Amino acid sequence: MSYTTRQVGAANTLDYKVYIEKDGKPVSPFHDIPLYANEDKTILNMIVEVPRWTNAKLEISKDQKLNPIVQDTKKGKLRFVRNCFPHHGYIHNYGAFPQTWEDPNVIHSETKAKGDNDPLDVCEIGERVANVGEVKQVKVLGVMALLDEGETDWKVIVIDVNDPLAPKLNDIEDVETHLPGLLRATNEWFRIYKIPDGKPENQFAFSGECKNKKYAEEVITECAEAWETLIKGESVDSKGIDLTNSTLTNVPTYSEASVQEIPSASPQPAAPIDKSIDKWFFISGAH
Amino acid sequence: MTSKSSPALARLSLTSQHLSSKRLSSTRSTMSSHLLPNFDYITQGTKYTTSYENYLSNSGSIVSYFHDVPLDLDVDKHEATFICEIPRWTNGKFEINTELEGNPITQDVKDDQVRFVRNLFPYHGYIHNYGCFPQTWEDPTVKHLEWYGDNDPLDVCEVGDTVLKIGEIKRVKILGSLAMIDDGEMDWKVIVVDINDPLAKEVDDIHHLVTKRPGLLETTRQWFRDYKLPDGNPQTEFAYNGRYRNATETIEVIKECNKSWKDLIMGKKTGDDLPNIKNTAIRESPGYVERFDIKRKKYTNREAPIPEEIDKSFFISKD
Repeated sequence: MSYTTRQVGAANTLDYKVYIEKDGKPVSPFHDIPLYANEDKTILNMIVEVPRWTNAKLEISKDQKLNPIVQDTKKGKLRFVRNCFPHHGYIHNYGAFPQTWEDPNVIHSETKAKGDNDPLDVCEIGERVANVGEVKQVKVLGVMALLDEGETDWKVIVIDVNDPLAPKLNDIEDVETHLPGLLRATNEWFRIYKIPDGKPENQFAFSGECKNKKYAEEVITECAEAWETLIKGESVDSKGIDLTNSTLTNVPTYSEASVQEIPSASPQPAAPIDKSIDKWFFISGAH
Repeated sequence: MTSKSSPALARLSLTSQHLSSKRLSSTRSTMSSHLLPNFDYITQGTKYTTSYENYLSNSGSIVSYFHDVPLDLDVDKHEATFICEIPRWTNGKFEINTELEGNPITQDVKDDQVRFVRNLFPYHGYIHNYGCFPQTWEDPTVKHLEWYGDNDPLDVCEVGDTVLKIGEIKRVKILGSLAMIDDGEMDWKVIVVDINDPLAKEVDDIHHLVTKRPGLLETTRQWFRDYKLPDGNPQTEFAYNGRYRNATETIEVIKECNKSWKDLIMGKKTGDDLPNIKNTAIRESPGYVERFDIKRKKYTNREAPIPEEIDKSFFISKD
């Protein structure tokens, strides 16, 4: 694939932005990159936001032009996920599917909760630690339905098609066979990861069960349809999402000129992360 | 790490470094410790290759991590001095090189390749700040219970909040230990916490970790039991049925290993493959030298990439 990144500023600062480029031209990872990477729709594109074993809460920006990856902030301060023993940072290569949206205007029939207004979240479980802004080709294995502060927040489980294990993983039950304990750890991680910030334990729909590939594909289809409505400008409420794109010539927010407004690359070495982020939180009764 | 020294003192120390380490092309990083005000480290070679060497310096002269840093075991306060070799959540098997003159920290080598510990799911690299006590030695010529020592300084796991650096020296509180048997050799793992870590005020003995750090002791034992499985080695075993020894019992082990080191450094030990005993601290010892003769290497502050395969996590079915 011909996707590369354009870095602006230093990681772990408020200035840090990672734009995605295709053949050197900035594109939106939310809107321009196709969800499906092949005709059969068996291989999907995934945007990596947070590499495994790191803490910075990097995500596709919803309100900046062409949606660069930036670090989430709270009250002007950079946000980091805390380390919950025995885990270190995020335990997967974490990211999102392009051209998907968890519609906050719709209540899901089974989870009974509305969408979280973000692209669909993805956990990639391959062996290699990915890079910020990497566009991976992945296959879908299953999905968990996290209920995060009253919103549905699906976590799709995938594996990089180039991972040595990918040929052996075709549905969710194969994950337990080849990566024993991974789904349990994933469940635990999402339940407890906000506890160090003083928040309650998260809940899962379906008693925490990881739904299979077929179910995951249905969720992806729903979120792809929601994004279609959004990008056409037909959503009940687009929640202020910047819909500018540089390749979708048939939608109202297409803008060839947007490419010129993107800052040129100015990569700088990562800034040091505050030592307080080293801390390991021990949560009693988590395991 | 917070520096307690004044800017003027720091400048003075930097000046002395520039003046005194001309023989080495050095990178200097401040190692501030109010206990050990003049210690510093000097690295050369390329990290993650066989050329990497991290020497300790004192007021600009190279000293041995193994022999010249005082253990200062305080049997009343249960405190001693600890040297970090492997920071938490990292994989490179860095350790004090007992054979080389000056005992730099180098990366362990097997079949000409630098060694990395593999990730045992769900853990990432080492789960503690891992290192050793200076001036201690697990004597390979003497049995403890039924096992001979592993010919290395006593291994230590520091469990504080902060991720330490390679070569960082800390004053620590001794909490307990595990008597690991590795390939038929005694290889104690002493559990400690930095005296300046908030946890140090809450724990005085090993059993306090059960409530203050739930899961840590079981996880530590399981980690040491299984960490060699990905390399195709069997599980390691433990003496005392894997039970942790308490602080008082552990201090006896440290005393014994400190005595073994004294015998070693005074030339009372003979045998093959014993550690290099050159030192700059103990004038009356046979290995005493005024200064080490260290060869200068070309590169400083360089890092080779860590092989991608080291990212991999190994999954072991729960028994």
